[in-house]
Amino acid sequence: MSFKDHDKKTFIIDTARDFAARRISKRDFLRKTGMAGIGFSAFATGLLGSTRPFRGNLGGNAAYAQTPEEMTKWLKDVGGKFKGTKVRYTSEATPPTVVLNQIKGEFTEATGIEVEIEIVPLEQVLAKATQDVQGQLGTYDVYYLDQSWVATFAQDTVDPTQYYKDKPDLAMPGFDFDDFSKPLVEGLALYDGKWAGIPFDIPIFITMYRKDILEKHGIKPPTNFDEFTAGVKAITEAEKANGIFGTGLQAKSGHYSLECDWTAAVWGHGGSIFGKDKKFAGNDEQGVKGLQWYQEMLKNAPPQSTASTWDGQFQMMHAGQVALVNSWDEFFPGLDADDSKVKGLWEPLHPISSMTGVRAVADAGFGEIPNVGHQGGSILGLSKYSKNLDAAWIFMQWACSKEIMTRCTLLGGFAPMRLSSFEDPRVKAKAVVGPGTTRHLEVVKWTIDNVMASEPDMPLWAGFSNNEIPVELGKLLTNQDYGGDAKKCMDNVASLINKAVEDAGLL
Amino acid sequence: MSDAAVAQSRSPGSLWPKWRWLSSEHPLPWLLPASALMIIFGIYPLLYALWLSLHKRNPVTRANVFDPDYNWMKAFGDQRVWDAIATTFLYTGIALVIQLVLGLLIALLLDSDRKGYGVLRALMTLPLVVPPAVTGMMFLLMLDGSFGVLSRSLYAVGLLSPQYPILANSSTALAGVLLADIWQWTPFMVLIMLAGLRSLPKEPFEAAAIDGATAVQAFFKLTLPMMSKVIAIAVLIRGIDLFRVFDYVKVMTDSGPGTATETLTSYSGRIYFNGDFPYASTLSLITLILVIIASSLFMKIFRVKL
Repeated sequence: MSFKDHDKKTFIIDTARDFAARRISKRDFLRKTGMAGIGFSAFATGLLGSTRPFRGNLGGNAAYAQTPEEMTKWLKDVGGKFKGTKVRYTSEATPPTVVLNQIKGEFTEATGIEVEIEIVPLEQVLAKATQDVQGQLGTYDVYYLDQSWVATFAQDTVDPTQYYKDKPDLAMPGFDFDDFSKPLVEGLALYDGKWAGIPFDIPIFITMYRKDILEKHGIKPPTNFDEFTAGVKAITEAEKANGIFGTGLQAKSGHYSLECDWTAAVWGHGGSIFGKDKKFAGNDEQGVKGLQWYQEMLKNAPPQSTASTWDGQFQMMHAGQVALVNSWDEFFPGLDADDSKVKGLWEPLHPISSMTGVRAVADAGFGEIPNVGHQGGSILGLSKYSKNLDAAWIFMQWACSKEIMTRCTLLGGFAPMRLSSFEDPRVKAKAVVGPGTTRHLEVVKWTIDNVMASEPDMPLWAGFSNNEIPVELGKLLTNQDYGGDAKKCMDNVASLINKAVEDAGLL
Repeated sequence: MSDAAVAQSRSPGSLWPKWRWLSSEHPLPWLLPASALMIIFGIYPLLYALWLSLHKRNPVTRANVFDPDYNWMKAFGDQRVWDAIATTFLYTGIALVIQLVLGLLIALLLDSDRKGYGVLRALMTLPLVVPPAVTGMMFLLMLDGSFGVLSRSLYAVGLLSPQYPILANSSTALAGVLLADIWQWTPFMVLIMLAGLRSLPKEPFEAAAIDGATAVQAFFKLTLPMMSKVIAIAVLIRGIDLFRVFDYVKVMTDSGPGTATETLTSYSGRIYFNGDFPYASTLSLITLILVIIASSLFMKIFRVKL
């Protein structure tokens, strides 16, 4: 297959997914597929989707769409010097990126700087960024960096705090780096004492439950793994005949989503991915218990769980197929959307606590932080190979400014990075049932501040978390290999990972 | 242009001599454009892939260090490569047999001059114009355990349990992917077979009919032997294409569940997306080598001359 073919095919897939996620109109979908030479036959495929669920109210609200006068003035004065340049940014369809893509026109209008945002599936973002830094091409001025890649790309980005100091003429007044949530800065942005970028997105694991179903069966909202497990089993037994399962999982073989679920299970059972000796620890007693628990959950989840990523898991919740879920908080605004079958029926909870306590950070390796609030955040990194570094820096400051980040939350309902956004009266006013609700944000903030967990900071992690771990887990969970033996699976993963870590000279 | 102007333009020292190669009988000017394209888009990428395969990538420093046997030894010791080779051959074999048999049968049905058959033949081309990635997504939808029309039909006739995820079960995923491939590419076989059938001389069939041969006898004794070259070419072209399958696997299963549908190309794609370009290049070269060996053997055995 030629690269041209590949581009065309990924364009078609992305277009279909955009339509499925309602990011583009039917007219745009048909126009784009027509461009790709498909025509109407592709229409049905638009019903598909596997990107991150986003159900904000992008129709916008005039009250939110007022750029403060002083910011507009600054954009015109400082950004106007770069009129005609183009800033390129590639990202997964994260909620803030989707919002930014919708409102970027305001930035262009004030500065004259064009912004091109390429929204592609997560693995393609990684491939594009990898190619760009490998050749030091500067194709992209701004990188979307998932938390699992920060260690890999930290050497390729400009420290934004330093650049802010070094270029006072380009510094946005009142940008305020201290306004970013401290745990997010430490867990996401900092690598080796340097800011690799600015925190941009923070999906985090919380517990969510269907209050009507739990009330019906006299089950209390769970506070720990044992209560969660008992509740899940009881609901499956009572409701399976009605097509409702205790829980739903994002267990797609070979996908990063499965790795996230597994990690949360291991951490919740007192284990960690790496030990303090920097060797894989998923095959120790706690790690194996975590995986066995996950296998048990799979028996109480819809069969399509093994074919689902986060989008599929959200669909199960949205369609009223499941009752108890330990997963991404950013599902929540969509559950309250007008098209949801379960509007107002889901409630957020603090993440269920471990029965054994979590492993100490000192006993884990490569900067891993074991805990029950698995974070899957991202940062915006300023490429040091950028040919439009200053224009890109102005865009990044605008995108990560107090006003724009708060507006992103208001339009999408997802968790903000800035403390001031959490306290914004407009954000608090939306903490009611309805599309783009913020009524889960109190739980999210508590989780970030108290029990946030982070995956290891190591250059090989992007590969392990997208290949070795989810592929071998997939073999186990779909009975392709290991005969259901969690220990055997983890031992094999250990041998693969330890060898690669040793080969890379990281032991 | 006037005669005088023409004469002027052809006079010594004018621009005309520079374009004389346009009427040259020497092969060089005619071979140069094609050779240049071949070198730029064929030879150079191949040599670059070979050069990459002789380097070991350090994932920390991202440096490619010359280590000629590292990737090749790694590939030979990598169980996933062997599994992917087995899956690739299995996929190619099953798809080829089904597409060939179905293609020939449908072609025999459509080989008629009766009214309406021309439209039917034209309709056969429709699946071919749908991009494979879109076909993959259509079948992904139809095979969905919850609402897929195929899954629900199989459940209705008692062949599947409710909400059975065909593509997420290691014992049925490959069959699901094959279904999409067969739907899309059987018409290709039909068209080639039809072209072959319609070019067969009528006399042997008329003679056989006079001698009292049945339709089945005519098919096995006349049609099949006379079609052997066409069939061989069709198998060769389709076989090479099947061996490089990527779209359906990527879209429908992403090589999963586990590695149940992982082919050589999808495995090298995964490695590529994870940034190990030298190892991905090595796997691509292994694919190329296997295709060359398999097609050469096929051409030798079936005496195909191109």
